[in-house]
Amino acid sequence: MLLQLNNIFKWVNSGGQRIFLLKDINLNVNEGEFISIMGPSGSGKSTLLNVIGMLDGFDEGEYHFLEESVHSLKEKHRANLYKEYIGFVFQSYHLLDELTVKENLEMPLLYKKFKGSERKAMVADMLDRFNIVGKKDLFPAQLSGGQQQLVGIARALISNPKLILADEPTGNLNSAQGEEIMELFKKLNEEDGVTIIQVTHSEKNAAYGSRIINLLDGRKV
Amino acid sequence: MFKNYLKIAWRNLLRNKGFSLLNIIGLSIGLAVVTLIVLWINFEVSYDRFHENNDRVYQVNNQYPVDGEIWTWNSTPKIMASVIAKDYPEVENVSRYNYEDTFLFSIGDKRIKSTGSIVDPDFLKIFSFPLVEGNIETVLKDVNSVVVTQKLAEKLFGNESPIGKILKVDNADSFTVTGVLKDLPRNTTFNFEFLMPWAYLHQKGWNDDYWSNNSVATYVMLKSGTNYEIFSKKIKSLRERYDKESPEMETLLYPFERTYLYSKFENGIEVGGRIDIIRLFGIIAGIILIIACINFMNLSTARSEKRAKEVGVRKVIGAKKGALVSQFLGESILISSIAAFLAILIVWASLPSFNTLIERELSLNFTDKWFWLSAVGIVLFTGVLAGSYPALYLSSFKPVSVIKGVFKKESTLVSPRKVLVVLQFSIAIILITATIVVNQQLVNVQDRDLGYNKDKLVYIAMEGTIKEKYPLIKEALLNSGAATAVTRTVSPPTENWSNSWDIGWKGKKEDDKTLILRFTADTDIVKTLGLELVAGRDLDHIRFPTDSTAMLINETAMRHMGFEQPIGQQVEDMGRQWNVVGVVKDFILTSPFQKIEPIIIHSAGEWTNFITLKLNGEYKTAHNIASLSQIFKEYNPEYPFEYEFVDQQYAKKFNDEKQTGQLVSLFTVLTIFISCLGLFGLTSYMAENRIKEIGVRKVLGATVQSITTLLSVDFLKLVLISIVLAIPVSWYFMTKWLESFAYKVTISWWFFALAGVLALAIAFLTVSYQAIKAAIANPVKSLRTE
Repeated sequence: MLLQLNNIFKWVNSGGQRIFLLKDINLNVNEGEFISIMGPSGSGKSTLLNVIGMLDGFDEGEYHFLEESVHSLKEKHRANLYKEYIGFVFQSYHLLDELTVKENLEMPLLYKKFKGSERKAMVADMLDRFNIVGKKDLFPAQLSGGQQQLVGIARALISNPKLILADEPTGNLNSAQGEEIMELFKKLNEEDGVTIIQVTHSEKNAAYGSRIINLLDGRKV
Repeated sequence: MFKNYLKIAWRNLLRNKGFSLLNIIGLSIGLAVVTLIVLWINFEVSYDRFHENNDRVYQVNNQYPVDGEIWTWNSTPKIMASVIAKDYPEVENVSRYNYEDTFLFSIGDKRIKSTGSIVDPDFLKIFSFPLVEGNIETVLKDVNSVVVTQKLAEKLFGNESPIGKILKVDNADSFTVTGVLKDLPRNTTFNFEFLMPWAYLHQKGWNDDYWSNNSVATYVMLKSGTNYEIFSKKIKSLRERYDKESPEMETLLYPFERTYLYSKFENGIEVGGRIDIIRLFGIIAGIILIIACINFMNLSTARSEKRAKEVGVRKVIGAKKGALVSQFLGESILISSIAAFLAILIVWASLPSFNTLIERELSLNFTDKWFWLSAVGIVLFTGVLAGSYPALYLSSFKPVSVIKGVFKKESTLVSPRKVLVVLQFSIAIILITATIVVNQQLVNVQDRDLGYNKDKLVYIAMEGTIKEKYPLIKEALLNSGAATAVTRTVSPPTENWSNSWDIGWKGKKEDDKTLILRFTADTDIVKTLGLELVAGRDLDHIRFPTDSTAMLINETAMRHMGFEQPIGQQVEDMGRQWNVVGVVKDFILTSPFQKIEPIIIHSAGEWTNFITLKLNGEYKTAHNIASLSQIFKEYNPEYPFEYEFVDQQYAKKFNDEKQTGQLVSLFTVLTIFISCLGLFGLTSYMAENRIKEIGVRKVLGATVQSITTLLSVDFLKLVLISIVLAIPVSWYFMTKWLESFAYKVTISWWFFALAGVLALAIAFLTVSYQAIKAAIANPVKSLRTE
């Protein structure tokens, strides 16, 4: 078991009323799964993803990640945990505009204090694997959306995370580019055994996953 | 990692050229000003610090209560040194220093005037002025020996060795050069090109043993190990044993190295001196540095919204807070390094004009390791100070809020950024007020009635044969038509060389110790200076042969002496009875900033040192001077003709205040400039942040004018708060500053009003450019960007 959510509640207080963002969510994720989270706007998909990614907290319930009780961890430990095991892919890529493709890929390694030679090898490997060697010295603004997302995924993968969290990874892409990205996810999941949780609006993209979770008003349906 | 930071920082700089430029220019101007001030302070503080024995060298001061107030001064009787040498075994060396005097040196046909002093042989042992040639034990042993500096030696002898050469001094005595001194460093209070032995004073009959004639400086060097506290108690009562007239006068040893910066005494207590002005500019340097750093912080945090995404992404992929803090600090250190480099260029380029302004010769010493150490220090300090707030602010962003795009900018009533702007503008307003007050004070005092007419007034030192041929010269001057009136004076009309409380008149109170200034003149003094007679007549030895005991007094003296009928009153001074023949309107003899003292004018031509004359207004000055030159060449052929204009000398009395005024104005302009750069940057970011709001407002029908007002008002409010804060502070400081002047401008409400209006106007100009630009932009464009 990779992670387990038990009775997770998250709410905000607005005008004296408690509005639930997540309500009684229970979820078990095993290693090697490919899960799609679906639901209309405002149903809590991204919130759930952020809770899983430990970027956001929750108000009630238990969260276990690889034997660790996330709900009882201090902020700092939580941050260390996600930094080590989780890679993030964003709808709007969130590449650093001032860095080239190569440098963007290298950055997580810098923070994990890899040696220069190791970094070089890992970056080269990743460029190769994603077929973007020719783009390594370009800046994000010089790439198409699909290519940027490719770099985004490569960056999420470079430090070998156990889990990839993708928040509408194809949301800003046209259908051909989107398909390419989904194929890539599928390949990563099947061939490399990477666990993936994605948030998506599209039935077609959701179908790439092995399991679909539907949310409505913060509840699983 | 470091390389990565550097890369990001560099690319960020290039990408935001406008922002970077504002930031770097502001910081580099700030750093340049700080560097200039620090160079100057460094130089001032180094004054007289190079003497090896400084820890045991003292200047001999006197202390004496006058009118219930303790007065301290540093001139001593000539005999003091020999008494100290005889009575106090703790003293290793003692030397007198006669006030610098100008002599004419001749060798062959060469005639060179040079300024130097007469000292005891110990002088060179007390002070570290190294000899390049000559033996320190013997150079000043012989009566007619002279020690010259390298500069004077070169002027006199060119490249030949000066040792053993014979010089004629003032066309009378022959001197042998026995030693050559290394040229004096610039940071010494002494100013001599040659030294002569004290024995020469004896030979000329210029020495005297009067305890009441305090006219030379005396320096002592204690034996090492002597306890200063104990010794100063011992020497305090020296005069009790010798001085019949004022045995209660105290003798005081004052550390020599403090004389340049501190030697201002009030009521017997050291109260500062030149150090005050140094502290003032030190504070100004600090303030400018802070303002420049505030700018940096403000601009960086204002831009932080733009970099929030970067922070969020970095955090999500593994950056710890520490790593981010060091990244942003690194960036600000990079900017401050660039700014420091620019600052050095600015300093290098502006140093010559700054030197002219402060009348010093400062230089950048690139080979000095302290220069580089302090440069690196200042870069790190500024970088960390300026970068700390943005670094901590940026690195504390929560990644999720940034990633989600719900990052909210601060909108609290009292945000740090607003506080910083208020602080900046308060300082700017204080400086504006200071500029106004200093310059008003200057104008006010310059406009003060001098009491005589300084135009076309010239004085000439009576050297060589001038003194004995005075009557002939006076006649020749008047006959030539170059001068309309000629007289002789003891000192230039802008200087006072003698004063005393030991002056008697009928009805003087027993305990009256008020100092009365002495001036000595000859026939036609009133006519020449253009003094105004209140009663009586001008001095005139021709019509009144008894005028050798005549005296003029000024109005203040008349009031002080309580003369109802001043003419015919007797005044006793210098062992003579003087007959008051006239009263002149008060005139300024010493400082135009102080109140006018009582002045008596002896009529004693034989005591005078200068010819003072009024040029004929009908001719051009150049023509008059040519005639003068011809006459003096004829009567005093051995000496070059030299003269001074009284108005130019009088203008010099304002030098210090003028300099202060110019420096304060300069720093004020720079402070305002830096503050405006910051304000400009802030407004542009604010306008950018509110671009959607502006768009919506315009779509709903807002006019350009109303939007400009909306955007400007926020900042102008801050300036208004600054004005309210700055007024009491500047009022306090300027009142303090004016306290040291007796004749001063009254601080008026319009000084503050002007400063406030200026600050508002400058702020408005700065802000409105961006505000109008944002207001006239097409709303469709701005709305589409969201």
